Amino acid sequence: MAKPLVEAIAAMREEDALRIADQLLDGGEDPLLILEDCREALGVIGRRFEEGDCFIPELIMAGEMLSQISTRVKPHLKDQGKEPVKLGRVVMGTVQGDIHNIGKDIVVFMLDASGFEVQDLGVDVPPARFVEAVRQFEPQVVGLSGFLTLAYDPMRRTVEALAEAGLRSQVKVMIGGGLVDDRIRRYTGADAYGKDAAAAVALAKGFTGA
Amino acid sequence: MPLHRGAMTGSHRTKVIACATVMEEIRPLLREGIQTQTLDFGLHSKPEALRKILQDAVNASEGLADTVVLGYGLCSLAVVGLRSRTCQLVVPRVDDCIGLFLGSQQAYREQSRRHPGTYYLTKGWIEAGDSPFHQQAELAKRHGHQRARRMAALSLNNYTRVAFIRTGEGGLGGYRAWAKRAGVEFGLRYEELEGSSRLIRKLVHGPWDDEILVVCPGREIRFEDFLPEGERNGEAVG
Repeated sequence: MAKPLVEAIAAMREEDALRIADQLLDGGEDPLLILEDCREALGVIGRRFEEGDCFIPELIMAGEMLSQISTRVKPHLKDQGKEPVKLGRVVMGTVQGDIHNIGKDIVVFMLDASGFEVQDLGVDVPPARFVEAVRQFEPQVVGLSGFLTLAYDPMRRTVEALAEAGLRSQVKVMIGGGLVDDRIRRYTGADAYGKDAAAAVALAKGFTGA
Repeated sequence: MPLHRGAMTGSHRTKVIACATVMEEIRPLLREGIQTQTLDFGLHSKPEALRKILQDAVNASEGLADTVVLGYGLCSLAVVGLRSRTCQLVVPRVDDCIGLFLGSQQAYREQSRRHPGTYYLTKGWIEAGDSPFHQQAELAKRHGHQRARRMAALSLNNYTRVAFIRTGEGGLGGYRAWAKRAGVEFGLRYEELEGSSRLIRKLVHGPWDDEILVVCPGREIRFEDFLPEGERNGEAVG
């Protein structure tokens, strides 16, 4: 049973969570079940946040634990031949002028865990860097993240830069992070917007026909 | 673009709705007789709840005021969708209150462009007590000091600077020291920025030119209303 992992993550006990994940992996636990526990714990913390009983630093701590566990789980997935068939390639980044990484990191984790190859460009990413990554990595999907309303313009400039480079028709662009909706999607010229990490995965699957 | 008269002229009944930190800067500029309603600062991280509370506050103003001045910017789209059947709504065209404190949206954008990793603090924000710096004590209670510190450090990941905006009239010594200490504790460069009451003054006294959005009764505030002139697809002003 891997439930102690859910509890450790939900209680923000980072060292315990990592130790339990290591023990489970060493004991031959199905790595996919460990990732499932992570998703469950994230759900618990997300609900707590909705109810106003969780500070943002706690949310961020949870993201950090997921990221570390994901890094540990990956080699085991490979070893056991359980690495999901790659569904497609996604370039992700927080747009220029915005340095918030937590939402993007959770999306990267979820995309990765769902079988996408993800190139994470980090934060404060200039449009030219997205263009370069699309040329080199040839993703089907580009994910633009931003937490502030100040991010809408750089999202738009990034979509424009892809168009100017003649790459726009090769990729689907999804946006998310702070508050985005269909008006912001239209404004930025993106193809879709997502409210949370699960939505980002659903969008990426839709775009790649997975 | 017609210039509108400011909120304080004539026999107009005006109500100002703002969060605690912005109200602190607005209040000294208000003339007697202006109604005010102060909302919880913490709502800024819950834009959908903020929108609902703002709409309730606007509804409650109908019949008591002809003009409702909102001390909010776009604020994670919280003001988008607000409307009043009988009041005109007046909102500064800024992303959020940092533009208000710095005196213009342009000043905010310039700061953001040059120093994206900035944690802004003002006297009002420090008093509101809602930041990773403030949450240390409660987080330490919940998780122990070491974990609380780690959480705060992760929250401030990618931040490089604490910028204390000097607003209002004097008496900032203790707040400046607090902000400086918070920055030092988490390895962030500390800087001070000169605040300006220019835009707040314009919001409450006019003239309501292009920096101020005026929405007539019955009309909804739209995201497009915050775009530069020429991109708004039809004017919002009444």
